[in-house]
Amino acid sequence: MQKILLVEDNEMNRDMLSRRLQRRGYSVVTAEDGEKGLLLARSEAPDLVLMDISLPAMDGWEVTRLLKANQSTRHIPIIALTAHAMVSDREKAIDAGCDDYDTKPVDFGRLSEKIENLLLEKKLS
Amino acid sequence: MILQNLSIKRKLTLITMLTSSLALILSSVSFLIYDLVSFRHLLTQDLMTQAEIIGYNSAGALEFKDEPAATATLSALTAKEDIVTAVLYRPDGKIFAHYFRGSTTLPSYLPSRLQEKGYRYVGGYLEVFHDVTLNGERVGTLFLQSNMRQWSMRARRYASILIIFVLVSGLFAFFVSSRLQGLISNPILHLEDTMRMVSANKNYAVRAVKSYGDEIGRLIDGFNTMLSEIQQRDTALQSTNGELKTRTQELEEEISHRKQTQEELLNAKHAAEEANRAKSTFLANMSHELRTPLNAIIGYSEMLEEETRDSGKIENVQDLRKIQASGKHLLSLINDVLDLSKIEAGKMVLHLEAFEVSQVIEEMVTTLQPAAAKNGNSIHVHLADNVNTMRADITKVRQILFNLLSNACKFTDRGTVSVNVEQIKVEDRDWIQFQVRDTGIGISAKQKENLFQEFAQADASIARKYGGTGLGLAITHRFVQLMKGCIWVESDVGQGAVFTVRLPAQVVSETAESVQPESAGKVPAASAETKIGLDTILVIDDDPSVRDLMSRFLTKLDFHVVAAANGEEGIRLAKQVHPLLITLDVVMPDCDGWTVLNRLKSDSKLAKIPVIMVTVVDNEAMGLDLGASNYLIKPVDRDRLAVLVEKHRITRSTTITDDNPVPLSYVVDRPTGSKTAGTRASRSRRN
Repeated sequence: MQKILLVEDNEMNRDMLSRRLQRRGYSVVTAEDGEKGLLLARSEAPDLVLMDISLPAMDGWEVTRLLKANQSTRHIPIIALTAHAMVSDREKAIDAGCDDYDTKPVDFGRLSEKIENLLLEKKLS
Repeated sequence: MILQNLSIKRKLTLITMLTSSLALILSSVSFLIYDLVSFRHLLTQDLMTQAEIIGYNSAGALEFKDEPAATATLSALTAKEDIVTAVLYRPDGKIFAHYFRGSTTLPSYLPSRLQEKGYRYVGGYLEVFHDVTLNGERVGTLFLQSNMRQWSMRARRYASILIIFVLVSGLFAFFVSSRLQGLISNPILHLEDTMRMVSANKNYAVRAVKSYGDEIGRLIDGFNTMLSEIQQRDTALQSTNGELKTRTQELEEEISHRKQTQEELLNAKHAAEEANRAKSTFLANMSHELRTPLNAIIGYSEMLEEETRDSGKIENVQDLRKIQASGKHLLSLINDVLDLSKIEAGKMVLHLEAFEVSQVIEEMVTTLQPAAAKNGNSIHVHLADNVNTMRADITKVRQILFNLLSNACKFTDRGTVSVNVEQIKVEDRDWIQFQVRDTGIGISAKQKENLFQEFAQADASIARKYGGTGLGLAITHRFVQLMKGCIWVESDVGQGAVFTVRLPAQVVSETAESVQPESAGKVPAASAETKIGLDTILVIDDDPSVRDLMSRFLTKLDFHVVAAANGEEGIRLAKQVHPLLITLDVVMPDCDGWTVLNRLKSDSKLAKIPVIMVTVVDNEAMGLDLGASNYLIKPVDRDRLAVLVEKHRITRSTTITDDNPVPLSYVVDRPTGSKTAGTRASRSRRN
């Protein structure tokens, strides 16, 4: 079973997304802030991270940068979830080292597709 | 000289006096000379007559040598005061008898010998010699000498009279001429006085009084005419001056008024901008805050739907779908509002890229197929053969087509929606024209007026029946404007509608370059840590939009960009980061590009860094002379810039790896150079 780390500060979204992902057959670990996300990414070694960008204190960009700078976590694909569907956000996400990004509210079908693609890519490489 | 500087009065007096005195003296002297000459002649005649008489009386005494008788005769001359000497000579020249007035002795002066008969003037004396004859025979000679006393007395008297006369008449002439010179001098002096008064007081109302009709009178007339002309001009000048002053004052008031208005306007503008910014920020935040709960609503309802369907409770599925649909509708409204606020805040940025038109059309038709099917409509597409690729913001083209097509589907019931795309040439430019035609309810003339305005759906009842915010066409219109295109509609009630959008085949836009300046600093900062190992380019430009544009562009080409807003900072950063290359603007405050270039090239540690000048100043020769590698003139040809920076990147990597510098021109054309560089260069060329 593949493990997904969901970093999301909004309780409802966290609950909803994790339940839907579980329905799709993933094992889900959740973190409500950046620091916890960082710790869980290291301890749980997830196959993929869904990273909300607007987090309190340490934001998603910072967590992504730290994950990508660390030898043990840099291989984990990260999908950024941004609330602002602006192109500069997309560039920012790619700049920060995210592998893909999606906008909130998530289109679950589209998001699942992206997750599957990244996991497949990871398996192939 | 002194005479010339005398006053006119004196001159006139002097001239008159001199003239009259001279004439008087001349005539008197001539008369005197004439009188004295005639008187002397008379005296001479008289003396000769005397000599004749005495000669006759003493002829006998001479004949008879009677000396006493002769002396007595001569003594009779005592009565004649003039005669000072009388001598009788014998024919042999010996003195026979003599008479000397006042003395008995012989005077020192006597003629040495006998002269011819006749008279002569010698030394102020008149002398007469007379032959004494008796019966026709010469018996002796008489000599008479007169001292001309009468004559000199007369001459002295006449001279005195003359002097007195001249003096008296001179005095009289002075008196008369002093009186009469006023005839000439007075008007002239008056004229002079008037003139002095005018020039001293600048009073042009004064007039000289004309006394006579002579030349001076005419002179005064002329002077007065001149004065009145000056006065007229002066008056005109003064009134013009007054007008000018009033006008200047008015202008000053106007200017200060305008300045005030301008200031007020500026304040109002700042306030409005501030308010607009606040509104945009508010909308952005609001949309974020609204999306979060919506996320939960849509997500949970989707989840519930799946679960419900799995558990077989079909009757609840429809309701859950309604929740989802409403949520999604609300989301699209929020997106529309956010789009509009971004457009209004000028934050809507174009991301231009080349794409296949057919692909976009296909995508949109597929997306809208369900919406068309819902109302029983069929969609027909006609793509002209000449339509291939266009360069535009693909997302916005998509949204334009989506809005037009979804509107067409929404307002048409069991009809056809057709899409017609072709490339046309208007005013020498290539355009891609999209036409969306439907057979729906159509639009009335009145509705057309506000069709592209925000929140102006054709009819309030339409909102109830068809839904929507009325923002779709407004956004479409704004997007078309952003890409410098045009949109219009042809329609009548019940006759369907044709929406035509015309976009340039190659969209060029300033908005693509005027990105929010605040992101300028963030781009390089964000990439500073993550892009370790990338080549760094230092951008020196005082214009924030240029810095931002260059940063974005070069970042896209996988460069790490560091930007400096002035020359000093640029030099400092160059020393700090040792960039692969530097782009340098010329016109900057304080330290201009030439100075920066000079300083870079004179620093041995920095001299090897290639510098590309990017400027509006057209002086390539100077740039290259100072050591710049390349010279680009703004607006920058991005393809050329891309080629140039790639060239430098390749040069560096080749010099590092095989220590063998490759000629730059060769590198550019080398098809299999560095893989990344090759593909990037060709991509930027295509763009």
